[in-house]
Amino acid sequence: MSRRTDYLDLDNVDLNTKDKTFLDSTELVLNMGPQHPSTHGVLRVILKLDGEKVLGTECVIGYLHRGVEKIGENRTYTMFNPYVDRMDYVAAVSNGLGYCETVEKLLNVEAPARAQYIRVIMTELCRISSHQVWLGTHALDIGAITPLFYVFRDREEILKIFEKYCGARLTTHAFRIGGCIYETYDGFEQDVRNFCTAFLPKLDEYEELLTTNRIWVERTKGVGILKAEDCIALGATGPVLRASGVQWDLRKAQPYEGYQNFDFEIPTGVNGDTYDRYLVRIAEMRQSVRILQQAVEAIPAGPIMAKVPKVIKPPVGEVYHSIEAPKGELGYFIVSDGSTQPYRMRVRPPSFVNLQALDKMVRGMLVADVVAVIGTLDIVLGEVDR
Amino acid sequence: MLNAIESYLSSGVTPGEAGSQLWAAIYILVITLGVSLAVICMNWLERKILAHMQIRLGPMRVGPHGLLQPFADALKLLIKEDIIPTNADKLVFLTAPVVVTMTAFTTFLVVPFGRAHAVTDMNIGVLYMLGISSLGVLGIIMAGWASNSNYPLMGSLRSSAQMVSYEIAMGLAIVCAVLMTSLQTGTGTLSMIGIVEAQQAQGMWFIFKFFPLGFIAFVVFAIAMVAETNRAPFDLPEAESELVAGFHTEYSGFRWSLFFLAEYAAMLAVSSIAVTLWLGGWLRPFPNALSGPAWTLAFSLVPGLSFLVMAAGTFLGTIRMPKIAQMRVQMIGLGVFGALLGLVGLFLLLPGVRERVQDVYWFVAKVAVFMYLYIWYRGTFPRYRFDQLMKVGWKVLLPIGLGVLILTAVVGLRQELLAAMVGGPR
Amino acid sequence: MSLAPLLRKVFLVDLVKGMSVTFHNQSEKGRITEQYPLERPVVFERYRGQPRLNVNPDTGESLCIVCNLCALACPEQLIVVKGERNPVTKRKEVVTWTYDVSRCMFCGLCEEACSTDALELTQDYEMALFSRDGMVLDQAALEQGQEPVRYAK
Repeated sequence: MSRRTDYLDLDNVDLNTKDKTFLDSTELVLNMGPQHPSTHGVLRVILKLDGEKVLGTECVIGYLHRGVEKIGENRTYTMFNPYVDRMDYVAAVSNGLGYCETVEKLLNVEAPARAQYIRVIMTELCRISSHQVWLGTHALDIGAITPLFYVFRDREEILKIFEKYCGARLTTHAFRIGGCIYETYDGFEQDVRNFCTAFLPKLDEYEELLTTNRIWVERTKGVGILKAEDCIALGATGPVLRASGVQWDLRKAQPYEGYQNFDFEIPTGVNGDTYDRYLVRIAEMRQSVRILQQAVEAIPAGPIMAKVPKVIKPPVGEVYHSIEAPKGELGYFIVSDGSTQPYRMRVRPPSFVNLQALDKMVRGMLVADVVAVIGTLDIVLGEVDR
Repeated sequence: MLNAIESYLSSGVTPGEAGSQLWAAIYILVITLGVSLAVICMNWLERKILAHMQIRLGPMRVGPHGLLQPFADALKLLIKEDIIPTNADKLVFLTAPVVVTMTAFTTFLVVPFGRAHAVTDMNIGVLYMLGISSLGVLGIIMAGWASNSNYPLMGSLRSSAQMVSYEIAMGLAIVCAVLMTSLQTGTGTLSMIGIVEAQQAQGMWFIFKFFPLGFIAFVVFAIAMVAETNRAPFDLPEAESELVAGFHTEYSGFRWSLFFLAEYAAMLAVSSIAVTLWLGGWLRPFPNALSGPAWTLAFSLVPGLSFLVMAAGTFLGTIRMPKIAQMRVQMIGLGVFGALLGLVGLFLLLPGVRERVQDVYWFVAKVAVFMYLYIWYRGTFPRYRFDQLMKVGWKVLLPIGLGVLILTAVVGLRQELLAAMVGGPR
Repeated sequence: MSLAPLLRKVFLVDLVKGMSVTFHNQSEKGRITEQYPLERPVVFERYRGQPRLNVNPDTGESLCIVCNLCALACPEQLIVVKGERNPVTKRKEVVTWTYDVSRCMFCGLCEEACSTDALELTQDYEMALFSRDGMVLDQAALEQGQEPVRYAK
């Protein structure tokens, strides 16, 4: 757990209220505890307030630390695959993709074309699913209680596809090192096509509820502004970075898994506030549907698994590979010492790095905005703490 | 004794006018029971309607389609442990829910369910209702203070500031409607029954009068009343996802249910004001335009028919229940409920009953529309941040209310104004 | 502000649009709520649920040949298989076979590793128990499967 509080001078905060009433104090240290409906997991935020305005924050994390990276050092490469889903449990397929690609890079193999197309389809479905959960919970924090149920209703179709394909809805373990192990089931393409046609009107419905709603606009416009240079300095990636105006998406900048074959756009924002992040994520969902529609028409025939030995013993070396997860740049740094178990398995979670931007975004805002900003960063504590 | 009852009921005056304390007590009892029954219905309706708007089902297990859920909730709250914080100001802690509930119920003294169906007809009825609702704010501050905890205190102060600000906009809208009553006889009236009678005499609900002025006043009141009762989208003080908890955090069990009861009663009260002032109170649609025995008969059949339609819907639900053994009790229960509704409907179709019940039915139907609107708002809108909430109250509703008031006065007295301008001194 | 946005603002068009969305969602069309336990959801073929040891349908003997590949594949090492060679049939037969469901994450690696289709993660998902005691399954439990507790109502 982080303990750096010197810049907040929290030690010198006078919490002695004996001679002062609560209403006398101008500076207040408020604890938004690990148990809170809006912190999207077990996140503790210590706020220093001046009346209603936030002077500074400190995030205390680690309540969900499970030692995933240490576990990685004691499992073989194949065995570690299911653990990866549990980090960002909302978008498990992405995590699996990043891991498999990193080990494939270490082994210097490439998944065959058919496997790549299947992986792209699953990953884009996962991106839509993750953004849907974000939309529902973010709207819930701001007070709109119905979009949550609408997105879960529509997400059900995606989870059904996941279940039909790999046998689990959430912790999918869909891919293997070297390709996919599950062949597409009968009706896979038709299911994806049906989903695409059914989903676009639903997306319009979410927008009708929120995008022009004056209450939503007032709650999100100008809240939590993060300028482009601050984003880059803090290392924020994903929709947070793109909403500040920086056109950077790993699917276009460092294409992997055959993304160069698809025609899609990278939505960017202008101001870097919460409203722009909302618009960027909605637009990303539309672009994901576009990719899905292209991919599902063009799945090539062929093998789905590359030639990978049964017992994976990568050569000595280290590799870093990152993908564009729904929440940002998800990176894996694997150091191999030649044995069946990695020497070091380091994960670069996007939510962990994006969370560092919370302090900068929230200074000078009101307390009610802290909740909105945490929601707009789209953090998952499973990823932050690992 | 039956003669006494008959003679009173056919007199066509309220107990206040008749000077009968016995009947006043009976009316008070009936209204209290009615409001409590309405709150119980609202609990079920809110959960079901909100759930349907969210593509889910709502309570289904406790009783057929969750119809017994409010009773289960009430029972649970009654048998819960009564927790009083150690350092809480005990007297204030205990009296706060009572103050809030009692003020909410006392406003119903002047609410007219019909020409003769109010407990009393004060000639300052509207002013009385506004005043008593403001007293409820005191109860909220007491609740926040007595909890001896930072967050409930902040929540109660915010809640009370919000309620006070929006009462101003409400007051301006009410004055606008009261102005309109004076345009028939030359003297206006604050009496609730008088306002409805003025609408009847002028042949137009005040919402349509001087269109769009009456409508704008109505909209201002409709928004202000949602903020007054701390409901979405103005429910920041009691939202769960915000940092500051509501003023009723430290209350548990029955005391909390008193706050809940008071909130719904307050919703009913302000909806009653809106219905009385703008929507013609107990008047059926088009009382002057569509008059005559045929129309009167047609409209008098509506209450009974509406209950029969509800009964038909219930029977449809019974038929559509899964036909397995575990559901048999629920099917029977729902069928019995449908039969009860049907019986009430048939009773309301009887010739003697259907004229008497007209007033009450139309009033309750209009208030029910407002309750549905409350639930609809809650399901649709995000909530305002506190400073935005205050901005809407002071910077948007207040100027609009003032403007509508001045324009109503100008339009209402346009002949006199023109005459004064034309024939006045040069 | 130009005329159209001003009119939209004054007439609360955005709020009314939102209200119409929630209104028409009240119909039954989109509802997919399954009222468990009256309707139990049907899962698909590849669902990774309750583990079972398959037996040969004709002869009734276990399909497991004690190759131990599942135990080696499991990331949590919760499968323990002990077998001994039957001198008559020259094949290994199971002595004890335990599977600890409490630590299982249903990843399916054991199912993939099994060489004879003996170990299978079935579509059974009602595995709730009141205590941890019943969570270490032996061969009999794995072959028969667990009967979920059916409630009377």
